Amino acid sequence: MKQKSLLLLAILGFSLLSGCSTMGVDAWEKDLLAKPEMALDEQPLTDALDDHIYFSKEASSGGRAYAGGGCGCN
Amino acid sequence: MNEALHSIAYKDSQGFITGHFTAMAGPCEVIIETTDQALAQKVTQAVADEAWRIERTFSRYRSDNIIYQINNANGAVIEVDEETARLLDFADLCFEVSDGMFDITSGVLGKIWQFNGSSNVPSQKAIAKLLPKIGWNQVSWSNPTLQMPAGMALDFGGIGKEYAVDSAATLARAITDCAVLINFGGDIVATAPPISRQQWLIGIEPLALGQNNIPPKVALKHGGVATSGDSKRFLQYKGKVLSHVLNPKTGWPVNDAPASVTVLANNCTQAGMLSTLAMLQGQGAEEFLESQQVEHWIQRR
Amino acid sequence: MKKNLLLKSALATATMTLIAGAAHAEEEQDRTAPASKEQTIGDWKFDAAFLFYSESDSRVSAIEPVFNANKRLDEDEYLNLKLTVDSLTGASPSGAVASDQPLTFTRPSGNASYTVNANEYPLDDTFKDTRAALAANWTFPVSDMTKAGLGANISKEYDYLSASINGNISYDFNNRNSTLFAGLSYAFDSIDPVGGAPIAFGRMQPVGDPQNKLSDTQDKDTLDLLLGITQVIDRESLFQFNYSYSMSDGYHNDPYKVLSVLDDQGNYFDDGIPVANVLFESRPDERTKHGLFGRYKRYVGGDILDVSYRYMTDDWEIDSHTVDFKYRFALDNGDYWQPHVRYYTQTQADFYQPYLRQDQPLPQFASSDYRLAEYDAITVGLEYGMKTAAGNQWRFSLEMYNQTPTEPEKYGALQQQTLLPDWNAVMLRVNYSF
Repeated sequence: MKQKSLLLLAILGFSLLSGCSTMGVDAWEKDLLAKPEMALDEQPLTDALDDHIYFSKEASSGGRAYAGGGCGCN
Repeated sequence: MNEALHSIAYKDSQGFITGHFTAMAGPCEVIIETTDQALAQKVTQAVADEAWRIERTFSRYRSDNIIYQINNANGAVIEVDEETARLLDFADLCFEVSDGMFDITSGVLGKIWQFNGSSNVPSQKAIAKLLPKIGWNQVSWSNPTLQMPAGMALDFGGIGKEYAVDSAATLARAITDCAVLINFGGDIVATAPPISRQQWLIGIEPLALGQNNIPPKVALKHGGVATSGDSKRFLQYKGKVLSHVLNPKTGWPVNDAPASVTVLANNCTQAGMLSTLAMLQGQGAEEFLESQQVEHWIQRR
Repeated sequence: MKKNLLLKSALATATMTLIAGAAHAEEEQDRTAPASKEQTIGDWKFDAAFLFYSESDSRVSAIEPVFNANKRLDEDEYLNLKLTVDSLTGASPSGAVASDQPLTFTRPSGNASYTVNANEYPLDDTFKDTRAALAANWTFPVSDMTKAGLGANISKEYDYLSASINGNISYDFNNRNSTLFAGLSYAFDSIDPVGGAPIAFGRMQPVGDPQNKLSDTQDKDTLDLLLGITQVIDRESLFQFNYSYSMSDGYHNDPYKVLSVLDDQGNYFDDGIPVANVLFESRPDERTKHGLFGRYKRYVGGDILDVSYRYMTDDWEIDSHTVDFKYRFALDNGDYWQPHVRYYTQTQADFYQPYLRQDQPLPQFASSDYRLAEYDAITVGLEYGMKTAAGNQWRFSLEMYNQTPTEPEKYGALQQQTLLPDWNAVMLRVNYSF
């Protein structure tokens, strides 16, 4: 049952791909998105520190990055 | 210079004020989104003054500017000012990235090629005589000194107008945050999108009669638009129409050049250079601009 | 013509310099350039961070300094090196339940013991360790629209070694408005617990007696897959959608965690051995996780909104939802305040048991590790960022984490105890980029 809904969610998510071709802006309109603070990986060290804390204290990991841990904290 | 040519006419329309004047051998306009007459006049005057200044400084038809000094130095070393230095640096880079297709020493070809719609094509002998006088690599340029062999001449015609548009835009931005569109005969820059309209709409002049397409409209928020090519400047030769874009290496017009290329980019100078380089690609103009990922319109005869 | 990548950016930069003159080129670039790169080729960029973490009720405290160096090798090619050290002190729940009698436990080494007072939540303070980890990553262009990355990590602490390699590829399309990402990672973990890995459900023995422990190291292999798409929506916003898959095989137990064996009154079952009646936990040797992650980032007139949601599910029957919300208030001088709220909830593992009963058969797997229980958690924090005159970035952050588990069913004497107490932690972080 869970596998099915997971698959459905994944398909739903990736079907966004077809809608993606209609979205977007031209190169010279990327001035705001090009700002460093708008980058998705703008704070890699903070993200890594947070990921480590939550990996150690919770039973979930990953999402934004790999789900594996790399330490003995879980 | 006839001072009557330095007049500016203003028109009001739906939240925009347009100032018209003549410069760089063509009609110029400055459109500013404001109802403040004084501001519009201040901005337009600044833009027009800058256009006239650049025109004077880089015109080949005057004897009192740096271009005259350079082109009449007869091999002597000339020290140039900061602005000319910037233009030379830019021309140098364009020469490099275009593998020599863009060359500001190719202006001498203008002596033998007249694109007046006739079929007066110069002889190969006349062209061959001029070719040794063309080649930026023969010029010794090291900021701020320039040394050019006698008989060669520099011509900033290929970048002058676009540079003037961008330079004027910088002045306009310094005066106001209001949206300003500057148009020097088809070389355009917008400093910001108009609040009332979301973007500026620019129409591209369709080619000669016979084409039924609706002229494309460019939606511009901010950035530059430049068009290379001119439907009115061409020659007829052996049943073909030769465009006015000359290949500096052969001295002949580029084969299969589009009739016009319009490019949209960050600023007018970049747009102008990309459209010129596209024209120089001849058959490969479309592929070139596709690979540059800039919005563009190409019209072929 | 020169490589197209270079032509366009060369022209972009050149026109900036031409128009505004070198002095203003940078300012102009900020206004209209598609992506002004701050790092010139050959330049190093450094990031340093320091985290101080401290839990309530004398539980774990940690300090974690991190140092990152990034070198721009070429136009789109970077080398990244990161060194992390973390040092833990304090005590961690052992998984045993509290009792109205004092309890004695043998330490993992088997050579010493510790006592927990009556009615006190059992914490094992043998939990002191320092870890060092080094990560290297190389990202490079493959073609005009494709980039790839290769990386390796190694992490070592007293009883644990983890080594991993990863590779990824990303592809831009739709006028560079969309990016597809695929990454694969393989990790090899090797555990050599203090005193040896306990036999599954082995009974804790007193000091001096044979300890029911194995002598060899235990391993675990983990394979991770990450697929994602990043999409520009409009001039101000973009979103990201990821699917992650993780498969691990091998030793998953926490070798230091135990389960209490209780009688029908809720007291420790007395089997005559002079140390608390606890069995070492036993978890499955395989775990498969699936995750779906979505994130939305938007520029709001100078401020920035950043929200994300993650759904995670695995074959241990743990399901979790994570919602993360950040809003950056930009100040006029370039500094910012950024409040942060994170909500997390998880269901318990199907083999989670807060305790075992003597009169009931032993399950196939069981663990009373509080991290596998059912709980909610909230993080609330505030970050302040400021740039120095030289353009270097400081960030200061203070956050509070609060975990509120669902108290399991209790019977008899257990009803006087708290099996899963709420707990919280304070996190203080400082970052400096230069």
